[in-house]
Amino acid sequence: MPQPVQYRGMPLVIPDNDSEWTEYFAHARQHRLMMRACAACGLMRYPPSPACPWCMALEWTWREVSGRGTIYSYEVVAHAIQPGFKDATPYVVVLVELDEQRGVPTPDEALRIIGNLIAADGAMASEREAAIGRRVRVNFHDVADHLALPQFTLTDEAPVGRVWRLPE
Amino acid sequence: MATNSLRDKYCIVGVGETEYSRHSGRTTRAMAVEAIRKAVLDAGLRAADVDGMMSYQNGDSTPANWVAPDLGIRLNFYMDVVGGGSSTEALIGLAMGAIEAGMCRTVAIFRSMNGYTEFRIGGTGARAAQPVRGLDLAQVPFGMRSAGQNFAMTFMRHMYEYGTTSAQVAHVKAAHSKHASQNPKALLKDRVTVQDVLNSRWIVKPLHLLDCCLETDNATCVIVTSAERARDLRRRPVYVMGVAGRVSKPRTDFHWAHGPISRVAGYYAKDIVFGQAGISTEDVDVTGSYDAFTFTTMLQLEEYGFCKKGEGGDYVSSGIIELGGKRPNNTAGGHLCEGYTHGMNMVIENVRQLRGTVDDYCPQAADGVHTYDYSPRKCRQVKDAEITMNLGWAVPPTGSALILRR
Repeated sequence: MPQPVQYRGMPLVIPDNDSEWTEYFAHARQHRLMMRACAACGLMRYPPSPACPWCMALEWTWREVSGRGTIYSYEVVAHAIQPGFKDATPYVVVLVELDEQRGVPTPDEALRIIGNLIAADGAMASEREAAIGRRVRVNFHDVADHLALPQFTLTDEAPVGRVWRLPE
Repeated sequence: MATNSLRDKYCIVGVGETEYSRHSGRTTRAMAVEAIRKAVLDAGLRAADVDGMMSYQNGDSTPANWVAPDLGIRLNFYMDVVGGGSSTEALIGLAMGAIEAGMCRTVAIFRSMNGYTEFRIGGTGARAAQPVRGLDLAQVPFGMRSAGQNFAMTFMRHMYEYGTTSAQVAHVKAAHSKHASQNPKALLKDRVTVQDVLNSRWIVKPLHLLDCCLETDNATCVIVTSAERARDLRRRPVYVMGVAGRVSKPRTDFHWAHGPISRVAGYYAKDIVFGQAGISTEDVDVTGSYDAFTFTTMLQLEEYGFCKKGEGGDYVSSGIIELGGKRPNNTAGGHLCEGYTHGMNMVIENVRQLRGTVDDYCPQAADGVHTYDYSPRKCRQVKDAEITMNLGWAVPPTGSALILRR
């Protein structure tokens, strides 16, 4: 793939021998959120990695997930340090717990993924939208021919559990 | 957990540091040399007595084998480790191992950094524009690069789960600023209030500016040797009772995958370090937490069992952690007020506490004469401190710990 990809002033370097990220982002460019799944025990893992953290098997397949989940935690960056984010403040970073494989293989584990909370049109969402418990769906941001970043947008679904946001 | 213990067989015999500043005007080599020299003289050693040297850095410092010759030190062992926070305690344990293995006899451990004028820890400047590759692709493209940005979601989840408030954790900054006001070396000597913290601008919610530590130019050094050797030296020996290094939660590649994310590595480290030392939290007189942020102090005190999980907010706002309280924390002001050293200055301070010779404003402090008057510009010695504990932090899933006694 052409190197590197520029995004918000950052060179994103994904060498051809990094099959984990090359394939993950290429799937994202097709607007499919794919997890590496162990060919032996079947458990999915994120980030994409070369071995199964539960059974050590090296064989894997890609498996598509729905891209739907719940905000597990979040933060609001008021003071950006990356030059390409200076004009985006305040912006929200969310830790999303995906619907698939929650509490598996132990109650403490889940497929969690980090992205920005963005509006449907792709702009950064208002920090007032962010709250633990609110439902989101993946919203792919195309960056290059072979790379898109999975971001997240609020949905109208009923929240999961208690909705909480940092008091003003 | 049963572990082999070298309890009381090794000592910290010398400590030293340069000025904490934002304008060192010197190389990390020059600063390291000054800190090591001070620690060697503090111990009453000669250059020829030091034959081991260790350091840690992230490509921002000078390696041990370039520094030792400046002081005429010939090394039988040296090692420079990649890393920042949590390295101090880990390297003390590794130094003990090197001596135990017969590789050398006395190890100087240093950290030298122009953390303000060259490589800013906050990740601003050149560091912020570095290429993004590998595991960083899971978060840096989303504007999550600095330490504060990396930890904020842990803090936020703790607030959600336990009702912890910004005002509660702000007491950490207030307490450490109180301690720094007794410390002539501290970069920030002015006391601040909880309201000052809450009124300071947001950096990354839930962190205000004053919830975040300083960025500092400095070098620091501690010297480790056997208890047998320590008995002949200048200072009262400070004994290592227990040490744990870079103990980690599962999934350090992406610790968010294995919760609870409000749990930090001390959960796994505490049994190792208390098991070696054979003591409990109630035996600890002074703590030294890695206060990169106000929240990190609270999380560590909780995880090591100084209070119940989830009650850290109450604990840090109760007065216990202040000088004059039951168990003061970071009595020199810590990373929030004295200076940022990647963990070294809290170990140095605890060594001085155990010697009874904390370098406060008491005129005869060096002779161990203290007033125990904790008003500004007075005393910060804890009376009869016998056991101290350091709670080292790298990131939420990795930490270190050290228990010392006099």
